[in-house]
Amino acid sequence: MQLKPSEISDLIKKRIENFDVNVEAHTEGTVVSVTDGIVKVHGLSQAMQGEMLEFPGDSFGMALNLERDSVGVVMLGAYKHITEGDTVKCTGKILEVPVGEALLGRVVDALGNPIDAKGEIDAQEMSPVEKIAPGVISRQSVDQPIQLGLKSIDAMVPVGRGQRELIIGDRQTGKTAIAIDAIINQKGTGVKCIYVAIGQKRSSVANVVRKLEEHGAMAHTIIVCATASESAALQFIAPYTGCSMGEYFRDKGEDALIVYDDLTKQAWAYRQMSLLLRRPPGREAYPGDVFYIHSRLLERASRINVDEVEKLTGGKVKGKTGSLTALPIIETQGGDVSAFVPTNVISITDGQIFLESDLFNSGIRPAVNAGLSVSRVGGAAQTKIIKKLGGGTRLDLAQYRELAAFAQFASDLDEGTRKQIERGQRVTELMKQGQYSPMSVAEMGVSLHAANEGFLDDLEVNKVLDFEAALQSYMKSEHADLMKKIDDTGDYSNEIKQGIQSAIETFIKTSSW
Amino acid sequence: MSELATLARPYAEAAFKRAKETGNSQEWSDALAFLSAAIQDTDLSAIINNPKVSEDRLVQLMQEICQDQVKGEGLNFLKLLIENSRLYLAPQIAELFESYKAEDEGYVDVDVITAYALTKAEEKSFALSLKKKLNKDVNIHASVDNSLIGGFLVRAGDSVIDGSISGQLQQLAKRI
Repeated sequence: MQLKPSEISDLIKKRIENFDVNVEAHTEGTVVSVTDGIVKVHGLSQAMQGEMLEFPGDSFGMALNLERDSVGVVMLGAYKHITEGDTVKCTGKILEVPVGEALLGRVVDALGNPIDAKGEIDAQEMSPVEKIAPGVISRQSVDQPIQLGLKSIDAMVPVGRGQRELIIGDRQTGKTAIAIDAIINQKGTGVKCIYVAIGQKRSSVANVVRKLEEHGAMAHTIIVCATASESAALQFIAPYTGCSMGEYFRDKGEDALIVYDDLTKQAWAYRQMSLLLRRPPGREAYPGDVFYIHSRLLERASRINVDEVEKLTGGKVKGKTGSLTALPIIETQGGDVSAFVPTNVISITDGQIFLESDLFNSGIRPAVNAGLSVSRVGGAAQTKIIKKLGGGTRLDLAQYRELAAFAQFASDLDEGTRKQIERGQRVTELMKQGQYSPMSVAEMGVSLHAANEGFLDDLEVNKVLDFEAALQSYMKSEHADLMKKIDDTGDYSNEIKQGIQSAIETFIKTSSW
Repeated sequence: MSELATLARPYAEAAFKRAKETGNSQEWSDALAFLSAAIQDTDLSAIINNPKVSEDRLVQLMQEICQDQVKGEGLNFLKLLIENSRLYLAPQIAELFESYKAEDEGYVDVDVITAYALTKAEEKSFALSLKKKLNKDVNIHASVDNSLIGGFLVRAGDSVIDGSISGQLQQLAKRI
């Protein structure tokens, strides 16, 4: 943006004109000690828990420990310039961040400041970082699907709008990839996405931004970023910041999707802060309230009913529900899901997508473990076609898992068992899906129908994906109207079923792959 | 500093309660003020912090220094502080004692800092308006600080009322 000098002076003039000289009354304190981003302040008798405190040099801190004669403050950002004896002022405000449409397509830090060199963000509203989740009365049950665009997930662990579905797995199992695909798949659906990067490398965040831009998904996405080099306090509040930005859309009667990548690192950051604040350590040295930091965060992801939206928008939006769907990510160490933070988050969320290194390394990507992955509420929200066909897929895979150990003795097995194993192998193969290529409901429906009706049984296992690709392009070119109908209605009526069946039959007769 | 205040509180509370019972809070106040001034002397604080100086000798020394400034119960208080190795808390105890005293007597100590010296009449009007605002009698300590440029700055305990030009300039700078 190019500004003329005259415009700037006009701007300043206007600000000066509007500047009302008022006598400022506040409470002050003095810095007693500065250690590792934790500042002890004497005085500040009026300070509130979580209040923003102003330090010299335009830096801010958050009051966390209120003691009789002192306040324990964590610094948000740089603290090296603060010295003993500095004056600290109360601002009387709880930490707030900008929210609104203006943030879409932008990369911001944990305080909502832009870090993508695209200029100032013209946000109209501010919202406190910590808010209480919607109450019981204002909620609505989850009954609309949010398509993540991955066959293995949409068919077997469906996610509904307003649900919290955990993505859990070791490092390098494709957790972020699932989240990014989910964001890409929201293009054109009106679902706004927020990606919160916590404690990651800046290069990884840059990669994510680039990939989203390449796939045209940045326009509906906000990226909140507290990288590994930023202070623990910023890494701790980044998820709450992102959540407030998502709640803005939810409260307006829109749908939003938020990805927390990942909450393990947030818990680490909180552990660091707590230990430096001398709060007593508990299991794995986490403080006593480590469960609460995640439960209060994930509780804010919810679906609110028509009345609540109407109330929150002052009657401007009528007849619409709002939702914020959360995909928290947890990184396990050596597949240990019984560690403290993973068990906590598993128990808070409405199900988990469990990713395994073994599956990943044997080429099954996304490496979803179909047995351990569950969705506690998503079933009610599935489209009819996926619900009908997905059930069969789940069953095939479950039977296959039981028998898989015998697969090596294939020759000695009876006919029925052998068939089940072969079906399982083909369905497993079919569940593979490339990165950045999310599928529509119709595409998934066709693939799942082919598997359920046994069209894959005569194929060699390594030909399954080629067959699928050829079938998809055939359907797209020859039966576009049928596909559109499925996408629009999500139905699996007899008519649609027959349509798919006959299309696949003709495809097999006429084409090669 | 904050830890010191926490440690000093029970001593200050005890001293104040005793002073109120015996009705000689002014005497206590003077004694504590003297003690705190004495402690802040570098030579004396070196001796206090020297572990080789025995308690008895320290008591003797303090008695000689204080002479008739600290006597009677004040002297017992001094001995107690030395016995508990808390003599270094004297400034904080004195400060807390004064604040209890002020609270009890229903007035607040207020620092009024102005860019130019206040006239008697101005000080009076300040006292009046502050009394209205704080709902207490005020005890004004006026001082001059040229860096304020103009206006005034009032400090009562933690709370600050900033009506100075420099404060307003800072606000303006932030806005722009």
